[in-house]
Amino acid sequence: MFRIIKKSLSTGVVTGQYPAAKALSEPVSREAIEKAKPFRRSLTIREVDTGSCNACEMEMNALANPVYDVERFGVHIAASPRHTDALVVTGPVTVNMERALKDVYKQTPDPKLVIALGDCAINCGMFKGSYAVTGPVERHIPVDVRIAGCPPRPAEILAVLETLRGAPADRDK
Amino acid sequence: MNGGLEAVGQIRGAFARAIADVGSVHGVPMLRLRKQDVPAVAHYIHTDPHVRGSLSLLWAVDHRPREGRYELCYLFTLAARKEWLLLATDLHGDEREFPSITPHLHAAKWYEREIRDLFGLIPVGHPDMRRLVRHEHWPKGSHPLKKECAWDQVLERVQGEYAFRKIHGEGVFEIPVGPIHAGIIEPGHFRFSVAGEPILQLEVRHFWKHRGVEKLFEQQRLTEAVPLAERVSGDTSVGHSLAYCQAVETLLGMTVPPRARYLRSIFLELERLHNHIGDVGAICNDTAYALAHAHCGRMKEQLMQLNDRLTGSRFLRGVNTVGGMAMDLSGTQLSQVDAELQAIEQEFSGIEKILFANASLTERLESTGVLSEHIAWDHAVMGVVGRASGIDRDLRRDRPFAAYHECQPKVAVYRYGDVRARMRVRLDEVHESIRLIHTCCRQLPMGPVSTGPVEAPTPGQWAVSAVEGWRGEILYVVMAGAEGRIHRCKIRDPSFVHWPAIQWAALGNIVPDFPLINKSFNLSYAGNDL
Ligand code: SF4
Repeated sequence: MFRIIKKSLSTGVVTGQYPAAKALSEPVSREAIEKAKPFRRSLTIREVDTGSCNACEMEMNALANPVYDVERFGVHIAASPRHTDALVVTGPVTVNMERALKDVYKQTPDPKLVIALGDCAINCGMFKGSYAVTGPVERHIPVDVRIAGCPPRPAEILAVLETLRGAPADRDK
Repeated sequence: MNGGLEAVGQIRGAFARAIADVGSVHGVPMLRLRKQDVPAVAHYIHTDPHVRGSLSLLWAVDHRPREGRYELCYLFTLAARKEWLLLATDLHGDEREFPSITPHLHAAKWYEREIRDLFGLIPVGHPDMRRLVRHEHWPKGSHPLKKECAWDQVLERVQGEYAFRKIHGEGVFEIPVGPIHAGIIEPGHFRFSVAGEPILQLEVRHFWKHRGVEKLFEQQRLTEAVPLAERVSGDTSVGHSLAYCQAVETLLGMTVPPRARYLRSIFLELERLHNHIGDVGAICNDTAYALAHAHCGRMKEQLMQLNDRLTGSRFLRGVNTVGGMAMDLSGTQLSQVDAELQAIEQEFSGIEKILFANASLTERLESTGVLSEHIAWDHAVMGVVGRASGIDRDLRRDRPFAAYHECQPKVAVYRYGDVRARMRVRLDEVHESIRLIHTCCRQLPMGPVSTGPVEAPTPGQWAVSAVEGWRGEILYVVMAGAEGRIHRCKIRDPSFVHWPAIQWAALGNIVPDFPLINKSFNLSYAGNDL
C-alpha cells in the first residue's frame, strides 16, 4: 500500500507531457465541425480496422494512456456501433473486411462522423493496387475527416478530436 | 562438429534411396527428396531422439515461368544445437498434388492450407481441407501467388459459407466474437463452443486483413522493399525490416559494418522494450488492475517518445536499410538513451514489486491459459510464448545476428506455460533488453554504418534469414528474380505459429478469461494475415 502511494506521489501528473502536434496537412472541414456539434461534450468512438499494419491501432490505443488521457475530453471508446458517434477507420479496405465495414456503418445511428485515420485509410498507402484491397475507405462509406500520417502521432489525432469538440481555445471552459 | 551435417549423415543412412541430392543454401544443409518420401523423412526428423527437429517454416515457390516446376521447402530447427536443416521437393509439369505431412506434424497444418489457397497445390491426406486465407467469397480457382495471376486484379465476390467445426451435445452453445471487436483491436473471428462457462473448443478464423503482402513484395526491387517490410506488422517494424534486410544482404554478398550491427541490436531491443512494457500493462488491465496499466502505459509512451526523438519515428521506421543503417546515433544521443533507460529500469522494478505483492493479480494469472510444453513443441511454438512453456529457444543466443555474438543474451525460460509465466518472461526480458542496450552503447565501434552490394543476384538464388523479434522468430525467405527484382518473398511472423496454439491454451478456461489469455499471447493479426 505504502509502495503504491509512494509510487503515485513520486510520479506526479504526467498528462500533457508530449511534444506539440505538427500542423495538419488537411484541416478539418467546416462541415465536419458542424456535424460534430451534437457530440461536443462527449464523443463516442468505435475503432474499425479494415486491414491496417496495426501501428495506427497502437497510436489510437496510446490516446488512452495517462499522457494523452483522451477521456478527459469526453472521448470514449464504445463497445458497440449502436452507441457510437464517430467511426475511426484505419487501414486500406481489404476484400475480406469490405462487408464488415459496410455493416458497421449501417448499424451506427445517424448522425455520425467517419474519420479516416492514417495514409492507408485515405489512399491505401503501400497496399494500393493489391488484388486483396478494394480501395480506400471513402470508396465504401462517406468520410468526413482525414488524418494523414503513417501512422499519425497521438498528439495529431488528439488535435483533430479537439477541433471536432469545438475550437481548442475553449478547452478549459 | 556441425549438428546439421551430422543429422544429414544420419538421415542419408536411414533414407538412402529417398534422397536425390544433397546441397546447401548459404551454409544451411539441404536435402532434395522425391515428394512421396517427404512425410516419412519429416516424421523421422521430428521424432528421432538424436535429430528432434521442429518445423520452422514450410513454403512453396512457383518456378514455372522459367523451369516448369513448383518447389516446396521445409525448414527444420534441430533441437540440440538449433541448427537448420532444409528439405526440398519438386512438383513437375502438371502435378498439383503433394503428400501432406500434417498427419505426422501438427506444425504443418496451417502452412499446407496456406499453400493450397495461395498456389492451388493440394496437400493430399490433410485432415482439414477447408479454406484458410481465401475467405468463402473468393471465387473458385483464385490462387494469387501463382505467377500468372495479376497482382492488381481485385478479387470478385461470390457466395459461400465457412463451415465451423461443430460440437454437438446437450447444453453446448456457440459464442461468435468478431471480426470487429469492442476495443481497439485488429479484426479476427473467434468461435467458442461452451457448455456453461468452460470453453470446450475455440476456433480461430483469421485472414480478414489479408492485403496480399507477399505478392506486393514481388512487385518490388530487392533493395527497395524495406518500407513494405516495416508495414507487415507495424508494432514489429524493426524486427521485420531487419529480417528482410539480412536476407537480401546474404543474397547480395554484403557484409554489414560493425557499427551498423550494434545499432541494429540497440533498435531491436528498443522495440522489444516498449512492446513488452505495454504488454505487461495490458495483461494487468485485463485483470482490472488499472494502476499497473497506467504506469506501464506511461513508460511505454516515454519510450516511444524517445524513439521519436532518436529517429523521427515512434515505431523506429526508416532506420534499417539494405546494407546497414539509414541513420547513425551521436554520442550525446547514446548517453541520453542509456540514462533514460536506467531511470526506466528503476521505475519498472518498483512496479514489479507492486505487482507481485498483489495476491488478487497473481491469483488470476496463475494456471490460466496453460499451454503445455508438449503441445508447444508439437506446434513448433517459440518466442515469448514458447519460453514460457519450457521451450528454450532464442535466436539471439542460438543463431546470433546483428551484434548478439558479442553481448551474450541471457534467455528467460519458465515451465508452467500459464499467463503468469508469459508475463514473467516479459518482465525478465525487459531487464535483459536494458542490459543489452547498455552493453551495446558501451561497446559500439566507430566507423561507417552502411555498405554497398558485392554481387549482382542471379535469378533463382535465395536466402533465409531469422530475427528474434519481441514476439519470437521472424523468418524471411527472399528469392531474387530478373533485374534485381524479387521473385518470391515468404514472410513468417511468429503469430502464424501461435494462433493455432492459442486454441489449445484456451481449452477448459472460462470465456471471461479468454481476453486475458489472448493478451498474454498478444499476437499480430496483420503479420498473420499478410
Ligand atoms: S497508415 Fe501506415 S501505420 Fe497506418 S496502417 Fe497504414 S501502413 Fe500502417
